[in-house]
Amino acid sequence: MGGTPSGSPRWQPSSPKAAEAAGPAWGRPGNLAGNVTLFCRRLRRRGLLVGPSEIADALQGLTVVELADREMARLALRTTLCSRADDLPIFDQEFARFWVGPALPAPSSQEGEPDESPMPGTEESERKSDLAVAEWNDTGGAEDEREVPAYSPAEGRSHKDFSAFSADELRSITELIVIIARLIATRLSRRTEAARHGSFVDLRRTMRRNLRYGGDVFDLVWRRRKIRKAKLVLLCDVSGSMDIYSRFLIQFIYALQGALSRVESFLFSTSLTRVTDALGHRDIHEALHAAAREVPDWSGGTKIGASLRQFNERYGRKYVDARTIVVIASDGWDTGDLEVLDAAMRELHARAGRVIWLNPLLGSPGYEPVTQGMSTALPYVDVFASAHNLNGLRALERYLQDPRASRARTAEARRAHLAVVRDQGDRR
Amino acid sequence: MGSASGPPQSFGGIPQITHALQQQGYIAGHDVALSIHLSVVLRKPLLIEGAAGVGKTEVAKVMARALDTDLIRLQCYEGLDVHTALYEWNYQRQMLRIKLEEASDRPAEEKEHLIFSEPFMLKRPLLQAITADRAPVLLIDEIDRADEEFEAFLLEVLSDFQVSIPEIGTIRARHIPHVVLTSNRTRDLSDALRRRCLYVWIDYPSFDKELAIIHRKVPEINDRLANQIGAFMQLVRRVPLDKIPGIAETLDWSAALLALHRDHLDPTAVEETLGCLCKDQEDLTRVRTQYLRPILDSIDVVGQSDDGWNAERIASLAAQLPKGR
Repeated sequence: MGGTPSGSPRWQPSSPKAAEAAGPAWGRPGNLAGNVTLFCRRLRRRGLLVGPSEIADALQGLTVVELADREMARLALRTTLCSRADDLPIFDQEFARFWVGPALPAPSSQEGEPDESPMPGTEESERKSDLAVAEWNDTGGAEDEREVPAYSPAEGRSHKDFSAFSADELRSITELIVIIARLIATRLSRRTEAARHGSFVDLRRTMRRNLRYGGDVFDLVWRRRKIRKAKLVLLCDVSGSMDIYSRFLIQFIYALQGALSRVESFLFSTSLTRVTDALGHRDIHEALHAAAREVPDWSGGTKIGASLRQFNERYGRKYVDARTIVVIASDGWDTGDLEVLDAAMRELHARAGRVIWLNPLLGSPGYEPVTQGMSTALPYVDVFASAHNLNGLRALERYLQDPRASRARTAEARRAHLAVVRDQGDRR
Repeated sequence: MGSASGPPQSFGGIPQITHALQQQGYIAGHDVALSIHLSVVLRKPLLIEGAAGVGKTEVAKVMARALDTDLIRLQCYEGLDVHTALYEWNYQRQMLRIKLEEASDRPAEEKEHLIFSEPFMLKRPLLQAITADRAPVLLIDEIDRADEEFEAFLLEVLSDFQVSIPEIGTIRARHIPHVVLTSNRTRDLSDALRRRCLYVWIDYPSFDKELAIIHRKVPEINDRLANQIGAFMQLVRRVPLDKIPGIAETLDWSAALLALHRDHLDPTAVEETLGCLCKDQEDLTRVRTQYLRPILDSIDVVGQSDDGWNAERIASLAAQLPKGR
């Protein structure tokens, strides 16, 4: 798919009508092919999956519709250039901006010098570079990707100092977490693999192997169910009320990310931040500092619902599917809208394989999840565990080893098919 | 990609597709008709997304009838693998043949060639589609339910339209099938697969479109009831439900009301038949306790007003329904 479109052999011949239809296309100067290319470039800048082959398709698509029929032409472009539902509103917006109004008389001036620019002035220079169609393969790309909001120390938000970790503490936590991670993240798949001993006969291989005996079956080849590695998504509350635990939980996340290959980590208080890459540092102190730098509102208020909704909207489709385990670590003190929390948890639960909620307060004796936020979220939680310290983690590990033996169930929990894992030692 | 031959002779322009679709009982918007047309002309697979029950699968069926060709369907599910999608050997037949060949003095190699040849092969949908005598419509239904491994495999097949079978060799498509993929968006598909496809999104139908569908599919229904059902559906889809009823539900419901000899909607009629619309206990309770009265009241208002049934009117009423769960 490399090469510039003008050099591509597919481009011209595949769209004779479109290429011939030079002249004003719906109010834009220049020929249609050039304009489509510019338009595609805009779409690509907005994140659509549009490359040279899509442009070729778009041009070819335009040959089958009546170009005077703006609506049909729009649909033809939309069908060829969009590839997901999220693209549609972006496409519509860009289309309305780019292909302005009814056809204008052809400009007598030079091609590429529109006498009436539909774009705001700031884009004037960008437009000129747009017209260098041959430079499709992107000179502007690097510029486009620089939209990440930079951290500003001037905003006066507090950031966590993570330098105070003892090496012993880290080591024992890490060991335990590796065990827990393996327990959480493996389960039997519906796919099978060949094995010495298994539960299914592999007919294909059995036939092959027994051919040498002339059709009598002596050796059976077996298959067994594969062990499937789950994906893990971690959402950790770092709001003010979680202050004394978040240090511990961040270590938990860091260790999990080190133990498993497919982990995505997020921190939230009033909004959500993805810290997977920040925590990917080899050195733990560096990793924790990097994470602390990225979160703008450490120790702020809590809006669990809004944060989870943000997660669902931005990352849900990408990172969560039926084989994903979502771990939420929070005390459930939500100062936001409970309806939002309910809807967000519902969606998350529907999409994820399992939802585990770690609530450090569950470790304290006599705690009942009666805060409004927690009781709203609980119906959508599969495992409710404390994990506020090493003992809590051990309890979780015991539960995962043998789910039936070690869970405490309240009446409410039973109704919701919820497993509550508490650290028994802590209560005594 | 693939053969350079143009679209089949029998295939006309967009008006003809719309006409063919209508003849087959499918009320399609311009976008659906155009995307089918483009898919045939550009020879690219068509990816159809949209909520459950908006008639995504139906597009492929109708397309096959409009093209006057076969429909080959591959229903995806978790754990779907190559053997189920592509081919499998017919073991019983192979065994039998080996037994029969025992007495013969063919060399072993020849025997092996014999039992691993096409007659001993069970062709699954993908291979059927590739080896068909004329280009069929290949429907890959609910691709989001298959796993990533299968998606990767599918991508390979869709780009080359050829498969290699170790025992036989490479089988190349005689005719490139018209591929339609549907997805309910339970998981995100890979960018690679998306780029391979044309894309169309099918939304819940507008009031007018749904009314036309009801009349076409349940012709015995009277005007008033059809209007009421259409309006009810527009309103009930605004209610926060887990499973929003689609067109299939509308048609089931219409048929049920008809079978019960109802000629208009009233609370009893709706309560009796609500199970056709809501397939989830919580949804059922929510609609029955919170929304049934307001919706029916709104419908009465529309029915009694002078300008009659009109889509904007219904939309404005929908905005007044109680909010939240």
